[in-house]
Amino acid sequence: MLTLDRNLLHRFGLLLVILFVGLALSLLTDTFLSVANFTNVARQISINGILAVGVTFVLLTAGVDLSLGSVVALSGVACATFAHPGDHSVFVPIAVGLLTGAACGLVNGTLVTLGGVAPFIVTLGMMTIARGLALIFSGGRPVADMSNELTALAGDLFGIPIPVLCFAGVAAAAWFFLRNFRLGRHIYAVGGNENAARAAGVPVEKVKLLAYGLCGLLTGLAGVVLAARITTGQPNAGQAYELDAIAAVVIGGTSLAGGVGTITGTLLGVLLIGVINNGLDLMGVSSYYQAVIKGVIIVGAVWLDRRQARS
Amino acid sequence: MLRALELSKDFGGLTVLHPTSIDFHLGEVHALMGENGAGKSTLMKILAGLYRPNGGQVEWRERQAEFTSPHDALVAGIAMIHQELMPIPDLTVAENITLGSEPCSAFGLIDRPAQLARAKELLSELESDIGPTRLMHTLTVAQTQVVEIAKALGRQADVILMDEPTAALSDHEIAALFRAIARLKARGVAIVYTTHKMDEVFRLADRISVLRDGRLVGTAPASELNPAKLITMMVGRELADVFPVRLPSSNEVLLEVTGLTREPAYRDISFHVCRGEVVALAGLMGAGRTEVVSAIYGLQPASEGRIIFNGTPLAIGSPQDALAAGIGMVTEDRKGLGLIPAIGVGQNITLSALRDFSRGPLIDHTAEAAASHTQMTEFSVKANSPSQPIAQLSGGNQQKALLARCLLGGPELIILDEPTRGIDIGAKAEIYALIQKLARAGKGILLVSSELPEVLSLAHRIVVLRRGSVSATLDAATTDQETVLRHAMPL
Amino acid sequence: MRLTPRKAVSAFLAVCALTLSLTCVSGCKKAEARKEGEILIGFSSRDLSAEYTAKMSEAIVAYAKTKPGVKLVMVDAQSDVQKQFSQVENFIAQKVDAIILNPCELEASTPAVDRIKAAGIPLVLVNQVTKSAGDSYIGSNDFDAGRIAMEAIAKKLNGQGGVLMLHGIMGTSAQLQREAGAREIFAKYPGLKLVDHQTASWDRAKAMALTENWIQAHKGKFSAIFAHNDEMAMGALLALERAGIKKDVTVIGIDAIAQALTAVKEGRLDATVFQDAVGQGKGSVDAAILLAKKQPCPKETLIPFKLITRDNLSQFLK
Repeated sequence: MLTLDRNLLHRFGLLLVILFVGLALSLLTDTFLSVANFTNVARQISINGILAVGVTFVLLTAGVDLSLGSVVALSGVACATFAHPGDHSVFVPIAVGLLTGAACGLVNGTLVTLGGVAPFIVTLGMMTIARGLALIFSGGRPVADMSNELTALAGDLFGIPIPVLCFAGVAAAAWFFLRNFRLGRHIYAVGGNENAARAAGVPVEKVKLLAYGLCGLLTGLAGVVLAARITTGQPNAGQAYELDAIAAVVIGGTSLAGGVGTITGTLLGVLLIGVINNGLDLMGVSSYYQAVIKGVIIVGAVWLDRRQARS
Repeated sequence: MLRALELSKDFGGLTVLHPTSIDFHLGEVHALMGENGAGKSTLMKILAGLYRPNGGQVEWRERQAEFTSPHDALVAGIAMIHQELMPIPDLTVAENITLGSEPCSAFGLIDRPAQLARAKELLSELESDIGPTRLMHTLTVAQTQVVEIAKALGRQADVILMDEPTAALSDHEIAALFRAIARLKARGVAIVYTTHKMDEVFRLADRISVLRDGRLVGTAPASELNPAKLITMMVGRELADVFPVRLPSSNEVLLEVTGLTREPAYRDISFHVCRGEVVALAGLMGAGRTEVVSAIYGLQPASEGRIIFNGTPLAIGSPQDALAAGIGMVTEDRKGLGLIPAIGVGQNITLSALRDFSRGPLIDHTAEAAASHTQMTEFSVKANSPSQPIAQLSGGNQQKALLARCLLGGPELIILDEPTRGIDIGAKAEIYALIQKLARAGKGILLVSSELPEVLSLAHRIVVLRRGSVSATLDAATTDQETVLRHAMPL
Repeated sequence: MRLTPRKAVSAFLAVCALTLSLTCVSGCKKAEARKEGEILIGFSSRDLSAEYTAKMSEAIVAYAKTKPGVKLVMVDAQSDVQKQFSQVENFIAQKVDAIILNPCELEASTPAVDRIKAAGIPLVLVNQVTKSAGDSYIGSNDFDAGRIAMEAIAKKLNGQGGVLMLHGIMGTSAQLQREAGAREIFAKYPGLKLVDHQTASWDRAKAMALTENWIQAHKGKFSAIFAHNDEMAMGALLALERAGIKKDVTVIGIDAIAQALTAVKEGRLDATVFQDAVGQGKGSVDAAILLAKKQPCPKETLIPFKLITRDNLSQFLK
C-alpha cells in the first residue's frame, strides 16, 4: 500500500501544479478556458508528447537519448522526399520516416550495448550525424511540395486533430506495453540494477536495444507528424526538442538514474510544459521573460513534487 | 560516557525502535544483540547522526548532543562502520581511508606522501597488507570491509560503532580486528558492536544489551550470560539445534565439472554434485570460490573446462543459459547482483521465472500475483505488500526473497553463495531447513560458505580451494574444522 | 584472443575512423596545391542550412567558377561565431588573396573582421555588417526590407487595423533592423496597432504554434501578420489556413524563398520581399577580385529590396 500511496501522491502533486497553473491562466486571460484553446494545446503538445513517450523507455533503462531533435529533422526530410504528389502511395513516405527513426534508434542501441559506449556519447554523436545527414539529403534546403494526402495527417479526424490521436495512441500502447509485456517489466529491471537483472536471466542487451529502437521509431513518427504539420521536411527543424522531451519525462517523475517512472507521469509532464508555453503566449509575455518563467515553473514543479513525495 | 535516553524512531508509521535507554562506557566493548529488525542498526544510526530520533535524546560527555548529520557526530568523536559498505569505487584505498580528513600541505593541496603513509599505518594496525594505491573496486568484499574499518580507526574517535564488521572477514582477518579492538579499548575508546556470531560476542564484549522487536530486553555483563541464555533473550524462546539432520544423498551425478580454468582466478577445478547432495566449496577469502560458482552460473564464464549437467555437456555463456538448463543461483553480492531495489518484492521474486506466468509476450498478472503470494508465504518474507519496494526490507527478508526468486523456476541445481551472511539466527535456521528440504527433494546444492560449522553440518562433501586450485575433497561426516582449515591455508 | 561482438564493433569503428582521417589528410594536401598567379579567395558562409544563405553562397561559388584565374574556397560556419573565427584564421594562415565574409553576428563577429584587417588581407563583407567595417560591403539594407513589407501591409489595410509581428532570433542585425523599419511605418500610420509581437526564432514550427496561440488570444483583433522571414510567414499562413481565417488576414514575409514564391503564385501568401541573393553573391565576388588586384572598389554596394506580389511575380520566377 505504501508504494501505491506514494505513486498516487506523486501524480497528485504534479496534477495540483498543473491545475494551479491552469486556474491562474483562466483568471489572467479570458481565452485559456475554451474548447478551441484546449484542442490547440493538445495539438501543440502532441509532437513533444510522442518524443517524451519514446525517450521514457530509454530513460527507464538508465540511458539517455540526445539525438531526438536531429532524428526528427532527418525523418521529416526522408518522409518529405518520398511524399511528392503522385510519386508514391501515402504509406511509403510514412514508412520511410518511421524506419529512418527506428534505424537511428537501433544504431544508438547497438553502440550502447555491443560497443559499450556511454549513451550520452553515442547519442551526442547521433545528434550531429543525423543533423548532417538531414542537410546532405535535402541539400540544405527545406523539402517542399508534399502531397495533400500526407499533409492531411496534420488535419482532423472526427473533429480531433490527427497528431493528437497519434499521441494518444502511442501513449496508450506504451502504457500497456510497460505494464503487461514481459519486456516492459524487463525495462524496469535493467534500469533498476543492470547487473542484478543480468544475473536474474534478463536479456539485458536485447532489452536496451528494444528501448532505443522504440524511442527511434517514435522519433520517426514525430518527424513525420511535424513534416505534415509544417508541410515541408526541414533539415534544421527540431532544434533542442530532446531537452523539452527529457524535461517532460523527468517532471513526470522518471528517474534519470533509471528503473523508476511511468507513462502517466510523462503525460502530465508533457501537459505542464504545453500549458505553460500556451499560457505565456496567450498572456503576451515577452520572449525574454517567457524563457525565465518557463524555467522557474519547471524547476519549481519538480521541487514541489519531490518534496511532497518525500514527506 | 555516551548515553541513549529514551530514543525512539518511526518509519512511516511503523515503530522500529520503542523508547530505549542504554549507557555506553569509555574503554568498554558493548555488544548489541538481537535478530534482524530488532532495532540495533537503527539505534546505531541515531547515535552516529544518520537518523534523527522521533523521541528521546543522545547525551555525550554529560551534555545533550544534537547530531544533524554524520559529520556532526564525527566532529564530536563518534565514528561508525556500516554494515552495507559505502566505498567510493574509483578512488584508491588511501583516498578512501582519508576521505574527509585528507592531510593537507600549504595552499590546501592534498599531501600525497602523508596520505599514503597514514593509510599504510592504519592498515598495518589491522595487520593487513592491502596496497594503499590500489583502486577500491579491485578489492574483494572482505578487503573492502578492512578498509572501512581502517577509515573509522583513522578518525581518532572516542566511540566507534561497528555494525557487523566481521560479516565478510576471514578468520585471520577477524583475529587481527580483535587485536586492534583490544588496543583501542586499552586507549579508552568505547566500542559498540553488533554481530550474529555467538563466539565473537563472548570473546569480545564486556557488556551485552539485547534488543527484540525494537525494545530493550536487558543489559548485562558478558560474564553473567552464556550462549543459551543469550539466544533465549534474543528470540524470546528456547532454540533447539539450528542444524537439521542430514540425509544420505543419491549416487546419480547431476553436475560434473572438469578442468575449469580462468587464470589467474582459478585453474583445473574438477568436482561433481549428485542429486540430493549438498557440496560445499570451502576456502579462505580470495581462494576463488565465488569465481568458480559464477562460471557455472554463466556470470563470468571460464576460459577452459567442461560442465556436464544431467549427462549433457553445456556451454553456459550467460545466466540465461544456466537458468534455461535448470541451474539457479543466489549470489553473495545481494545489493550488486541480486536486488532490483525500486520495484516491489513480488516483482523481484517473479523476475527470473516471469515466462512461466505469461501468455506469449504478455504477463498474466493474476498468475504472477498468485505465485509471488505463494512464494512470500512459503519463504516467510515479511513485507507490507508484494508491491513494497524490496529496498525497504531487512537483510534477512531480502535474502529470503532472492531465494524465493531462485527457486520459483524450479532449478535442479541450486548454487548458494554465502546464503547466511549478515542475517540473524532465526533466518539462518530457516535457510538451513530449506537446504535440507531441497536436498531431500532430489535437488543438488552447491554451497559456498565461510562459516565452517555451517559447512560441516550441512554438506555431504567439502571441496576445499586454495589459491584457485582444489586442495582436497573431504567427506563432511569424517572431517573436522582443523582439517578443512589446514587444506585451506596457504602453505 | 576470442573475437567477441564488442571487440568486433570497436575494431570496426577504429578502422572506420582511421580510413576517414586518412582520406581527409590526403584531401587536404590536394587542396593546398596552388598555381602561380592564381587569385585565391576564401569565403566563410554564415549557415548553409538557411535557405537564403545557401542560395547566395551557391551564387558566389558558381560565379567565381566563371572567372578565369580565380579559385574560391567555401567553408560553412553553421551559425557558430567561434567556428567562423577559426575558419578566418585558417584563411589568414593560407595567405589567401581576399576574404569574403558572411558574418554570423553584428557584435560577436567583429573580432574576426579586426583579425583579417590586421593581417592586411582585403575583406568583403556580404549580407551582414559588423561593428568594424571591411574594405567593401555588399548587401541590402534590412531596415528597408522592414519598411517595404510594413508599408505594403499599411496600404492593404488602408492604414487601419491590428497587426501581429513575428520576430527573428532576438538581437540579430536582421531582426533589429527589420523591426526598426516596421516601427517607422507604425509611426507614420497612427491607425495601425501592434497587437502583439513575439520571437519565433526564424522557425516555421515555432511560428505556427505561436500563431495558433495568438488566434486564441486575439481572435478578431488583428488583420495582418508581418513575419521577419518567409519561413515564419509560411508557419503563420498554415495556422491561419487551418483555423479557416486566412481570408481575413494579410500575411507578408521577407526573403522570397521558393516556397513563399509558390504560395504568392497560388494566392495564399499576400507578398514577400525579395532580397537579391544572386545579386549579392555576384557583387561580392566582383569586389573581392578588384581588391585582390589592388584596384579601386566602392566601399558599399546596396542591392535594393523589391516587394513581390502576384502582379509582378513573373519577373522573379526563373
